[in-house]
Amino acid sequence: MAVCIAVIAKENYPLYIRSTPTENELKFHYMVHTSLDVVDEKISAMGKALVDQRELYLGLLYPTEDYKVYGYVTNSKVKFVMVVDSSNTALRDNEIRSVSAGDWRTTPGWWMFRKLHNSYTDVMCNPFYNPGDRIQSRAFDNMVMSMMIQVC
Amino acid sequence: MRDPNNQLHVIKNLKIAVSNIITQPPQPGAIRKLLNDVVSSSQPAEGLVANVITAGDYDLNISGTTPWFESYRETFLQSMPASDHEFLNHYLACMLVASSSEAEPVEQFSKLSQEQHRIQHNSDYSYPKWFIPNTLKYYVLLHDVSAGDEQRAELIYEEMKHKYGTQGCYLLKINSRTSNRASDEQIPDPWSQYLQKNSIQNQESYEDGPCTIISNKNSDSNLLSLDGLDNEVKVDGLPNNFRAHPLQLDQSSDPSNSIDAPDHVKSVSSLHETKKASTGIIHGACLTLTDHDRIRQFIQEFTFRGLLPHIEKTIRQLNDQLISRKGLSRSLFSATKKWFSGSKVPEKSINELKNTSGLLYPPEAPELQIRKMADLCFLVQHYDLAYSCYHTAKKDFLNDQAMLYAAGALEMAAVSAFLQPGAPRPYPAHYMDTAIQTYRDICKNMVLAERCVLLSAEILKSQSKYSEAAALLIRLTSEDSDLRSALLLEQAAHCFINMKSPMVRKYAFHMILAGHRFSKAGQKKHALRCYCQAMQVYKGKGWSLAEDHINFTIGRQSYTLRQLDNAVSAFRHILINESKQSAAQQGAFLREYLYVYKNVSQLSPDGPLPQLPLPYINSSATRVFFGHDRRPADGEKQAATHVSLDQEYDSESSQQWRELEEQVVAVVNKGIIPSNFHPTQYCLNSYSDNSRFPLAVVEEPITVEVAFRNPLKVPLLLTDLSLLWKFQPNDFSGKDNEEVKERITGEPEMIGTEVISEFLINSEESKVARLKLFPHHIGELHILGVVYNLGTIQGSMTVDGIGALPGCHTGKYSLSMSVRGRQDLEIQGPRLNNTKEEKTSIKYGPDRRLDPIITEEMPLLEVFFIHFPTGLLCGEIRKAYVEFVNVSKCPLTGLKVVSKRPEFFTFGGNTAVLTPLSPSASENCSAYKTVVTDSTSVCTALISSASSIDFGIGIGSQPEVIPVPLPDTVLLPGASVQLPMWLRGPDEEGVHEINFLFYYESIKKQPKIRHRILRHTAVICTSRSLNVRATVCRSNSLEDEEGRGGNMLVFVDMENTNTSEAGVKEFHIVQVSSSSKHWKLHKSVNLSENKDAKLASREKGKFCFKAIRCKEKEAATQSEKYTFADIIFGNEQIISSASPCADFFYRSLSSELKKPPPQLSVHTEKQSVEDAVRLIQKCSEVDLNIVILWKAYVVEDSKQLILEGQHHVILHTVGKEAFSYPQKQEPPEMELLKFFRPESTTVSLRPSVEQLSNLIKTSLHYPESFNHPFHQKSLCVVPVTLLLSNCSKADVDVIVDLRHKTTSPEALEIHGSFTWLGQTQYKLQLKSQEIHSLQLKACFVHTGVYNLGTPRIFAKLSDQVTVFETSQQNSMPALIIINNV
Repeated sequence: MAVCIAVIAKENYPLYIRSTPTENELKFHYMVHTSLDVVDEKISAMGKALVDQRELYLGLLYPTEDYKVYGYVTNSKVKFVMVVDSSNTALRDNEIRSVSAGDWRTTPGWWMFRKLHNSYTDVMCNPFYNPGDRIQSRAFDNMVMSMMIQVC
Repeated sequence: MRDPNNQLHVIKNLKIAVSNIITQPPQPGAIRKLLNDVVSSSQPAEGLVANVITAGDYDLNISGTTPWFESYRETFLQSMPASDHEFLNHYLACMLVASSSEAEPVEQFSKLSQEQHRIQHNSDYSYPKWFIPNTLKYYVLLHDVSAGDEQRAELIYEEMKHKYGTQGCYLLKINSRTSNRASDEQIPDPWSQYLQKNSIQNQESYEDGPCTIISNKNSDSNLLSLDGLDNEVKVDGLPNNFRAHPLQLDQSSDPSNSIDAPDHVKSVSSLHETKKASTGIIHGACLTLTDHDRIRQFIQEFTFRGLLPHIEKTIRQLNDQLISRKGLSRSLFSATKKWFSGSKVPEKSINELKNTSGLLYPPEAPELQIRKMADLCFLVQHYDLAYSCYHTAKKDFLNDQAMLYAAGALEMAAVSAFLQPGAPRPYPAHYMDTAIQTYRDICKNMVLAERCVLLSAEILKSQSKYSEAAALLIRLTSEDSDLRSALLLEQAAHCFINMKSPMVRKYAFHMILAGHRFSKAGQKKHALRCYCQAMQVYKGKGWSLAEDHINFTIGRQSYTLRQLDNAVSAFRHILINESKQSAAQQGAFLREYLYVYKNVSQLSPDGPLPQLPLPYINSSATRVFFGHDRRPADGEKQAATHVSLDQEYDSESSQQWRELEEQVVAVVNKGIIPSNFHPTQYCLNSYSDNSRFPLAVVEEPITVEVAFRNPLKVPLLLTDLSLLWKFQPNDFSGKDNEEVKERITGEPEMIGTEVISEFLINSEESKVARLKLFPHHIGELHILGVVYNLGTIQGSMTVDGIGALPGCHTGKYSLSMSVRGRQDLEIQGPRLNNTKEEKTSIKYGPDRRLDPIITEEMPLLEVFFIHFPTGLLCGEIRKAYVEFVNVSKCPLTGLKVVSKRPEFFTFGGNTAVLTPLSPSASENCSAYKTVVTDSTSVCTALISSASSIDFGIGIGSQPEVIPVPLPDTVLLPGASVQLPMWLRGPDEEGVHEINFLFYYESIKKQPKIRHRILRHTAVICTSRSLNVRATVCRSNSLEDEEGRGGNMLVFVDMENTNTSEAGVKEFHIVQVSSSSKHWKLHKSVNLSENKDAKLASREKGKFCFKAIRCKEKEAATQSEKYTFADIIFGNEQIISSASPCADFFYRSLSSELKKPPPQLSVHTEKQSVEDAVRLIQKCSEVDLNIVILWKAYVVEDSKQLILEGQHHVILHTVGKEAFSYPQKQEPPEMELLKFFRPESTTVSLRPSVEQLSNLIKTSLHYPESFNHPFHQKSLCVVPVTLLLSNCSKADVDVIVDLRHKTTSPEALEIHGSFTWLGQTQYKLQLKSQEIHSLQLKACFVHTGVYNLGTPRIFAKLSDQVTVFETSQQNSMPALIIINNV
């Protein structure tokens, strides 16, 4: 369902970026890159004191004509960005309902990012991984692929 | 002016726009073209100081102003067609101009007036739209001072005043100066500032509508755009773009009905209209300053007297109408200021409106009257009133569902609300939104929507509502107009960056979008600029895909703009970076790059070759090799391996070579290595010492190996690859040595350059290319880099497929494109780390491996090995041949070989008769020199002798350095010499690498190169053969023919350890030879029946020999002479004292001697003791060397071969076992590290008991059995001779004690049975080597077997105080049998 999943380092360079329609990779890169502005905005909008307790999931960053961009920021300022096809209604519907109810945890988006985060943590725990390098873990890759294919 | 409530209202900065009455609205296409031109003509200034905006970690250079956008907007608003639903672009007044030179000016005026009326009210003329039906008419009499009669003009003016009133007419006098004087004037062109802006526009309209001249031949648009009268005050608080925008008052110009054209040409308007831009310089040339003032005054008069009162009156009228009609009269009065806009309206838009707005009001509809009034108020800057009118109008229109009208009203309401001073009401942004939406969605009128958006965006920006502005701007971008979209996107991008927290990435993204649109709209420069701006954000942040895309676009745009350097660098960037692009994409990039590059190089074909970015060159991996390539093995001939680029660098081996060279140089220079000695380096790489200029020899090729790496996923094809160099000949044939020759011209007589025609590097491959240079002159060569054509392969040819064979493809690569370029080789030297300064700073030493000095001719040796084996048995002797060829033009001399393993080979000694047999002839011969002997003389040794000096083993010389016995010691050019060479398989099993270093010199002494070397590494695999063990012991027998000295028994154990995998059947021991200075083998005492001494696999054989001391005189006279004694088991004697047997013997001996002798610590105070010990030790030493010569029968390929070999055993000490091969040493146990010095032990000083016991050799001589008639005589006395021989070289005191030991009970029993008679103790002194015999008597009383070996002998060195009184040689039981007869 997701068409593009990206992991962006604290310094805003990509650690990992993958999109399913590979022929249009450039577009997604631009899209993800541009979304970082919104992420920055959302983070800076929160007060400094709140940063620590904030919800990591940022929800919908912005919609475009064909896609919706969701964001997630870890405490170490690593960003996860997910681009979802707008035609995919499953996520959106749940989203609206749950967010309005104030419970992020019931949204599929939250769960997806949570999964992504866990997988990312696994990558980080790899002693052979040099933090800051591009992620080349196969396990992470598979997880991302599964999230792209899976329909939820 | 006064408003309807009679309140004064100041108008500032009023602008009046004057245009021809009969102008056609420009066509949409023309407008588009116009806008395009405006934008493209407005480019950012070159030296524009850009603002640096720091947002997060981005530092961006952004120019704050966008003049192209402003001029676009200005032009856009100006070219805006007037429409029916609003009155903003409609004309208010009409100027009627007549020339005073006309015959009937007054008549003309009335005609013009009628004409104007006709135009306004006739439906034929839809275009110039009029504000209100009765347009203000203003009559102007134009008087040409230079041409006309002033009196007459005054008269006519009077008449006009009479007819139209003073308010409505004016006499304008111009052209006070004659035109012919114009050229001298320095008065600036008064029209220029207005004309330049509009001339294009006018031209358009002129060309589009040539029909404008229908009514009047001279109907020229008189566009006077004067910037008002007291227009200094500008309104603050407006964004600058508003300020710059001329809101002009529309003014209908009157068709000045001049009859004759020449007159008219002189009139102001016609002048600048007819001549157009082409003659723009002469505008107003006939005007004096007073004329300027007059014109200004005229406009002022017109505005104050005519226009403003007219407007005032109209507003009042409209107001009255409204009040009367609606009954609602609001307070419509207040004071305002500001300006208004004007432009022309195309009729096309009206047609559109009809479809969309649904409702159309007739021009005089009351609803429109409000709007009209609002517009008027707006124009005279009465915004308060305007707003309320717009507001009312909007309500009306909305009620009537007249959407277009409503939208217009909304828009204007919002604008006037914004423009109200003091901002009494908040800006109604939603008005604008609704208006835009209506325009766009309902009315489908993009032009209006655009105007609305532009206005709205400016207003929002001025209120710092950037995100809203950006959203608005982005919303209006659409497919239909790229230019507009581009501009709007760019503005949106600027909005993003100007936000409180700048959205850098959005900025960049929208810049890219804008750039894309610009390029679609054909605005290349703007597109490039946008991409460059965006690049700042994406650069170096890891967004490689996006970065590549931008770079690619930049490259393309720059290319189309002919900014080739930028294009090249942009493309270069794409290719250099580790790209994550797909192969196809990279291929596209590469092709594009090559194409651009080709164009660049075509532009400047004579310029220096460009630096190419691809492929990568690993400069530090560059290797330089001096000399010819190695020749491949030619049959049996095997060239010396020497040095080649194929060899990997190995620091260990290079150190070995270096040591070898030092050794040989030391020998040549009599033991001293010259201070300026540097090891010869043939192959320079990153490990070698490159701090000096390497030396190359003229006429010998220099090979440079360049390591290329292709970072791309597409293969690269380099063609015509060659080296680039600079050569500076040494003052050769009187040439100026400063003359520098560049490669470009190609000087093949100086340096020949090899060209590789095709060199293919597959995707992501590292490959080395070897390029050669052939220096033909001496001098200094500098290799600068490589030059090649960079190309790619057409299509997606799979190079690694079947067609991977480079030979198949040669010449078949269809080069799609290729570019000639160069890449420099710059090698950084090693980091310096010697001095403190160097340690603290980072400095690099020079690397001169690419700057060889070409020196004069040197000899060049080639060495070939013929029949050189690869496998040998241990100890096997094989004969091979070496061929030395001098391939140079210089004779060579002083040829030497140095090797770490001199025992491995020999060229034969000096005494050997050199038999220059051809290798083929000697194939089946034995390696040894043999003599057929009689089989009878089997057991006795044949003796010969040879000196070690003959075999090159001199004292003190380095045994490793072996001079090659060249026939004349000189090898002439082209000459070749074959020498026999014997090889002996090393004693250890396994693979051996043996390094030979051939050293030679030129006959002429060269200052730079003293010598040259050639290396060879031979690899020999040895397998086990025989294992020989030998011991020597003193024989006790005294049957010594020669009488003196001692005899020795030599036991030789031989074992065939061959595991027979090589088909070795058996070994035959053919001869055992001894070689010693003092000893020789005498005869074989082994009387075994195995005469051939065969040893099959794993068989052991034991031989026993008797050795005797050589004759004293021989030993004395020839201390260096070795005596060889051969004991033959076959029927052929191998002359062991000749080559090669002796050679190897001496070699092995010397290698044995090389081992450090057991070091005796020397203490001076104990010097005497030392000596004593040494003396004692000496007497137990033997220096007997055994040479075992054997033959092995080997079956190989069902052919029996006989291999020969020899083993050496060196015997040092009596009683100690010696081996033919070094024993495997036990790995030393890990020693504990000691932290204190152990007490120096003196233990070593004492000679061992065993050694001492060898001082004196004793033997008892007695009859083995003695018959004695005991019944006759009860006492039996047997004479016994005790022989004492001194083995040492010193005098020895000997005590012989015959008394029986009393301690042993056993001795009591036995010894009690016999007694020594006579003297029981003797004290003797034995001189060196002396033999003394003591006659003893033993007395027996019984028959039986007795042991006579009871005498105890003590010895000590006579001159020593210290007594090493040790019992000598516990003698063996000497049994005697006493028989009773």
